[in-house]
Amino acid sequence: MTFLRKGRCAAAGYPPAYSLRVLRLGLWLLRRERASGEWRVLLLALIIGVGSVSTTGFLGDRIKRAMSEQGARFLGADLLVTSPRPIDAWPGHALRTSSALEFASMVSRGDAFQLATLRAVDAAYPLRGEVRIADRPFEAGTQRPAMPPPGTVYADQELLTLLNAQVGDAVLIGEATFRIAGVVVEEPGQLAGVFGFAPRVFLRADDVSQTRVLQPGSRLTYLYQFAGEPDPLAAFADALKTRLDSTQRLMGSREGVETLRGAFANADRYLQLTALISLLLSVAAIAIAAHRHALRHYDQAALLRCMGATTAQLRTLYAVQLLTLGLLGSVAGVAIGALMQQALAGLILPESVARLPSLGAAPVGVAVVSGLLALAGASLPALMRLIRVPPLRVLRRDLPPLPVAAWLSALASGSALLILIAWYAGDARLVGIFVGALAALVGVLILLARLALMAGHGVQKISYGPLRFGLAQLLRHRFDSTLQLGAFTLALFLVALLALVRSDLVDGWRQQLPENAPNYFLVNIAPHQQEAVAAYLSQHRLEASALYPMVRGRLVSKDGVPIADTLPPEKRDSNSLRRELNLTWTATLPANNAVLAGTWHGERRAAAPVKGTPVGAPLLRSDPPAEISVESGMAERLQLAVGDSLGFQVGDQTLAARITSIRSVKWDSMQPNFFVIFAPGQLDDLPASSIASVYVPPDDAGVLPGFVKTFPGITVLALDKLIANIEAVFAQIIGAIQLLLGFLLAAGMAVVVATLLASLDARRQEAVLLRTLGAQRAYLAKGLWSEFIALGVLAGLLASVCAEIAMALIAERLFDLPLRLHPWLWLALPAAGALLVGMSGWLTTRHITRVPPMQSIRALG
Amino acid sequence: MVAAHALSQRVPTADGILAILSEVELAVQAGETLAITGASGSGKSTLLGLLAGLDQPSAGDIVLLGQRLGDLDEDARARLRAGRIGFVFQSFQLLPALTALENILLPLELAGRSDARERATHWLARVGLSARAGHTPRQLSGGEQQRVAIARAFATDPEIVFADEPTGNLDADTGARIIELLFELNASVRTTLILVTHDDALASRCQRRLHLVAGRVHEAALA
Repeated sequence: MTFLRKGRCAAAGYPPAYSLRVLRLGLWLLRRERASGEWRVLLLALIIGVGSVSTTGFLGDRIKRAMSEQGARFLGADLLVTSPRPIDAWPGHALRTSSALEFASMVSRGDAFQLATLRAVDAAYPLRGEVRIADRPFEAGTQRPAMPPPGTVYADQELLTLLNAQVGDAVLIGEATFRIAGVVVEEPGQLAGVFGFAPRVFLRADDVSQTRVLQPGSRLTYLYQFAGEPDPLAAFADALKTRLDSTQRLMGSREGVETLRGAFANADRYLQLTALISLLLSVAAIAIAAHRHALRHYDQAALLRCMGATTAQLRTLYAVQLLTLGLLGSVAGVAIGALMQQALAGLILPESVARLPSLGAAPVGVAVVSGLLALAGASLPALMRLIRVPPLRVLRRDLPPLPVAAWLSALASGSALLILIAWYAGDARLVGIFVGALAALVGVLILLARLALMAGHGVQKISYGPLRFGLAQLLRHRFDSTLQLGAFTLALFLVALLALVRSDLVDGWRQQLPENAPNYFLVNIAPHQQEAVAAYLSQHRLEASALYPMVRGRLVSKDGVPIADTLPPEKRDSNSLRRELNLTWTATLPANNAVLAGTWHGERRAAAPVKGTPVGAPLLRSDPPAEISVESGMAERLQLAVGDSLGFQVGDQTLAARITSIRSVKWDSMQPNFFVIFAPGQLDDLPASSIASVYVPPDDAGVLPGFVKTFPGITVLALDKLIANIEAVFAQIIGAIQLLLGFLLAAGMAVVVATLLASLDARRQEAVLLRTLGAQRAYLAKGLWSEFIALGVLAGLLASVCAEIAMALIAERLFDLPLRLHPWLWLALPAAGALLVGMSGWLTTRHITRVPPMQSIRALG
Repeated sequence: MVAAHALSQRVPTADGILAILSEVELAVQAGETLAITGASGSGKSTLLGLLAGLDQPSAGDIVLLGQRLGDLDEDARARLRAGRIGFVFQSFQLLPALTALENILLPLELAGRSDARERATHWLARVGLSARAGHTPRQLSGGEQQRVAIARAFATDPEIVFADEPTGNLDADTGARIIELLFELNASVRTTLILVTHDDALASRCQRRLHLVAGRVHEAALA
């Protein structure tokens, strides 16, 4: 009896040991039930969701940390000034300095030639970080100054491959021959160059003049580097800021990283949102599994209440089970994420993957919290009902749990999910767009699924045997079928869309180009070379576009007000404001351009440039501004209209111009295209080089090495190679997203399995009844297969419809491509759907056909 | 031990208020055995549920183990039951994922008994199922399942055991053996036993019988 008393006191007084006991009991019950289907699905769905989130989390974190950790090393200096013109006068300072000149030029070896980014450096470059040079390709290399010995260059591996060259070979740059003295393995800012198109060459600053490639109007970037103690650096930066104009840029090691990080953050955010969709699909699977878990545990909860468990204890007991599963799933998901991110890094950053820092701890926290939030959001409503089971249920099994206020459970799961979405989307606008798009998509999918099921009804009527039985099952479990269909359609649709975007847009665009569309751009044609170039081309019977003169200038004001001040904050980041524009002039409206508003300026000539007029100063009546035509997209972005007066800064001069027309431009015409076209007259006196495009038939490609040798300063841009490069980058990014879509497909399958498990008891009952009535196992098996294959085929067909519509919209709205159908899609998606849904469905339900009816009846008891 | 005064249970239905129990008076002493009998729908199980504190009456008072149930909320009633009251159900109510031994362990673990495993093993032996300790309910016959359920009800040394149609799901022979076991264990630990049955043989083994007709006590007599 003393034993009894002891136990009773403990129960009534709730010492800490009591809660501990409930915890232990919860874990014990969980361990005993670990084999149950719903726990497995819940865990699997969680692993998939956390896996997709941690994959992108790990990778994003590694890249961001790579940027931060490299800091000054990344910039090659503590302070960097970039300028399109040389800067001679600097504020007084006692800092270490280095200067470099960067420009693009053709590098050739024999008949092979390639556009490269050349950086002419002095002995001090780089001031921070290191350059590693190897004697042979694919070696680790040693740390050396970036400046090669006289008469030599260092080139990166890519250039060597493109030119089929080796260390020690000679290459021609402009008019000078250089020997390749080593392979560039590592240089400051290399991560930035991951998506760069042109291979890198280092040469000595004092060797540049021999090449004779630099001419007035050439696109050059002067890089001035400074390093020193923080205080003198800060003083120097302050003094410098006021002296730089809008074309010049000052970057501290932090700004350098920030710029990159900003660019990266956008890409990162979209990858993360893709991961979030997988997580949300997993949430659907978890919610269904949790619901079924609760249904199957009402009796258990009632029994525990009979035995004296209080609401708080039941809450603790089931919460500890969920938390344990949540942590297990998160750990497994994080482990999978750690493996997958390496694959993803290999796809996105093949060159730099080895240099990324090791895995960080922060994404683990993010992934685990995401997993737990998703789990909480998905399973709280079911859990809340479970702990409100009346104990009387042990006597009256039909008693449902006490209802939980709908707003309470909606609030619990809704806020958890909203926190998740808000966390990933970042800003309120994106949250709105994401939630809106998701709601619309879910609505459309449900509608489509319902329509498809109605069509299935028609098919069912005319079918017979197991197929009729299978379709009847599909239609009977209408809610489940809609859910399964919706989830799987979404997954297949997104996979298909990406595949189409990759293959279709690039191919489609290529296909619609006229047969002899220009395939080379000739850039940097000096005024005195124009006639010789024209003669050379006609001598070789090559068809070239008109020559367009180009002057680089920056748009600085509108109607006398700095342009940025006329725009809402979100539009101030426009590319057209951040970089110099290529300005041209012509009297003839270029082919592929169409005037949308105003009148084309034609031959009207304007007055000479207004030299030295400060930005924003009123323009004199006697200086009628030039007439210009602006591209419609730019006009929209910058809120420009016919009649507006714009101010451009070209070198140290300010030009005033008035918009007289707005033009549409067919950017993919492969012709030189311009945002701003001046009427002839105003820019004529400025240093200009020209650009032209030319079609070189593949058989005549041998002409080009000769052209490069004859005109060493002219840059020949191979559009084919440029497109191939764009395609390669595109393929990298899409490959990465497709890897994430693997998670999405898995999450879709988890939804199918979860919904099937939820209906398993009812299905088992039906199967038992049918077998008792004489149905053979094969009949039931065929019925199940028919049901799941029909579901998969339907999902595939719906996904095909969605993908075709989305592609048509993308192609028409964004790329102006003709409508195209994809017959293979209509075969591939239903087949993939049938296979994936069929397999997951059959694996989940196959045992119900195998259990002898007697055993089944007893189990249902 | 258990006392009910003017106990009524009424539920609203589509046709108006339905009286399941009306003005039930009852007092059960410690160590006593009571059978609640009556036809289906006479309110037997409802009365059992009310007496055990699983539900609340529409009117009247119940005193269980010295506590007025009307003064206690759901959780306080649960606390009162913990370790002091055992249950045997018609449908056994064993947890399918747990073995026979673990099902007996469950209330002991919940009550925090330090010797839970020894007690569970002891009680499994008392019902003659030591050899089936590792079997799950699906691997046991109906009679074996009910024996496990009886062991579970007695394992915490409860002061009262409530049994709801303990032989209702069993054939006559098995039912008879289960009755023997139930009364044998009850006699050995001197627990108060209140059971619901429409089986006369079972009811006749109890010291007292409470017969319900349409929710009213029709006859309360010594068996």
